[in-house]
Amino acid sequence: MSTAEQAARIRAFRGMTRAGTRSLLIYRGDLLTGAVTLVIQVVLAIAVWRIVYGDRGPVAGVDVHTAVAYAAIAACLQSVLLPWQFSSLPMRIRNGQIATDLTRPLGLMWQVLGQNFGVLLGRLPLGAIGLAVAGVIGALVLPPSGGAFLLSLVATVAGVLVAMLCNLIVSMVTFWTFEVGGPLIVYRFGSAFLSGSLIPLWFMPGWLRSSVEWLPFQAQVYTPVSIYLGRLRGGEALALVGVQLLWVVVLAVLLELVWRRARHKVVVQGG
Amino acid sequence: MAEPSWLRQYLILERAALRAQLQYRVNFWTTLMGGVAFQGTQLLFLGVLLGKFGVIAGWGFPEVAFVFAMRLASHALYVVPFGALMLTDEMVRDGEFDRVLLRPVNPFLQLVTRRFSLMSLGDALLGVGALVIFSRQAPVDWDAVKIAYLLLAVLGGSLIETGIATFFCGLSFVATSTFSLRIFADSSITQFSGYPLTMFGRPAFYAFCTAFPMAFISFLPATVLLHRTSDVPLPIWLTTASPLAGALALTLGYAFFTRMMPKYTSPGS
Repeated sequence: MSTAEQAARIRAFRGMTRAGTRSLLIYRGDLLTGAVTLVIQVVLAIAVWRIVYGDRGPVAGVDVHTAVAYAAIAACLQSVLLPWQFSSLPMRIRNGQIATDLTRPLGLMWQVLGQNFGVLLGRLPLGAIGLAVAGVIGALVLPPSGGAFLLSLVATVAGVLVAMLCNLIVSMVTFWTFEVGGPLIVYRFGSAFLSGSLIPLWFMPGWLRSSVEWLPFQAQVYTPVSIYLGRLRGGEALALVGVQLLWVVVLAVLLELVWRRARHKVVVQGG
Repeated sequence: MAEPSWLRQYLILERAALRAQLQYRVNFWTTLMGGVAFQGTQLLFLGVLLGKFGVIAGWGFPEVAFVFAMRLASHALYVVPFGALMLTDEMVRDGEFDRVLLRPVNPFLQLVTRRFSLMSLGDALLGVGALVIFSRQAPVDWDAVKIAYLLLAVLGGSLIETGIATFFCGLSFVATSTFSLRIFADSSITQFSGYPLTMFGRPAFYAFCTAFPMAFISFLPATVLLHRTSDVPLPIWLTTASPLAGALALTLGYAFFTRMMPKYTSPGS
């Protein structure tokens, strides 16, 4: 591929990203309500954990400050990573727009990834507002060291990649079933629980925790937040970031395989 | 020709909506599972949380699980017949509501039967199951009166949710998008209405009784059955009458809906 072609592809990808962000920003009122409601939910989640702890000391080796900070950060991260309307792929397949999309010079997977990435960027301010409020009401704690902070940033990026790939693989089901509401909901709530965004893995009973560790979901929320809070340190933290990267590779290969089969399943609806 | 009754119109349209949804078989089963997964994770969350901590604000697992079961049964009773109200926003935005206005059937009835929500069957499955299991485990000496009160409370709770959803439909005629608001209402009810709501402090509790009346869905009637009305900063007669609030919420929601409907403006050409 020539450099000019590559530059054109990057431009096209950026265009999709911008379109994704704009699709959110156009509904300002909705975005504003989204921010307000996220704040209310973060505040309520913080309240729940504070009340659950009461005057209790550490539970499962975790004190109230860590548990509260975890709940706040996880709720914000989750709202950025798993919005309700994430990918437009199912809609494009259902209304037949997929026919046009397939003729574009940029591959379909890149178009969708670009658009999803744009949605994610558009939602970042929401997460930031949620975090800021959590900070103001004293629910956040600082990471134990600069190193832990940097590593948690790397882990967040890896978590975002894992989430995007998982979301896209689930959306691909639409090529076979046309309707994807069901699988998306199972995925959404399954991953909310399994990623540790509802409840940190520390509190899960042993059997549940060891099953969850074999799945890609903990890479989305639990790994970055635990590293930030210093619950995972040194070699253990690095190993989990390694696991995240491994999942990125595995999921990317899986996506490619699914897409190869899906290509033969394309049915253009409507006329 | 005599016009068919409301109920008959509803049944005809709802059956058509159900048939449309059943076209996609895989979706039927996965959506059913979706309903179970949605609410099941919440139950799993409560189980794990109370397994580690024992009590929340003095309420143990049997009590919290009972409130959860009541809430879920109410939710199912709302979402099976009225779940399609959630699509109103989209219909108003796309201008599809134009067609609703052209047909000689009550617009609200058409919105309700717009689509059958398969996921609601999952909610119903888990809701009824949880209610049967957790009401036995709850510290309540059941008799005919208490069972009747429980059923009335579940019905009242479903009407509260229907009232809120109807209110949002009215709102969508004047606001461009109410998506975030509806998701917020839905997820707040899912996540928080199962807790003893007084634990969030008095101002928040009063807000849950008025502005966003989720306390009526299961918490208030549950305190009556669990003999915990003393937890609640309201007169006992008012707490006991809480199942009746559903009818009031639906009336207000519907009144708002009919007031706002004339403000609908078609978005397209």
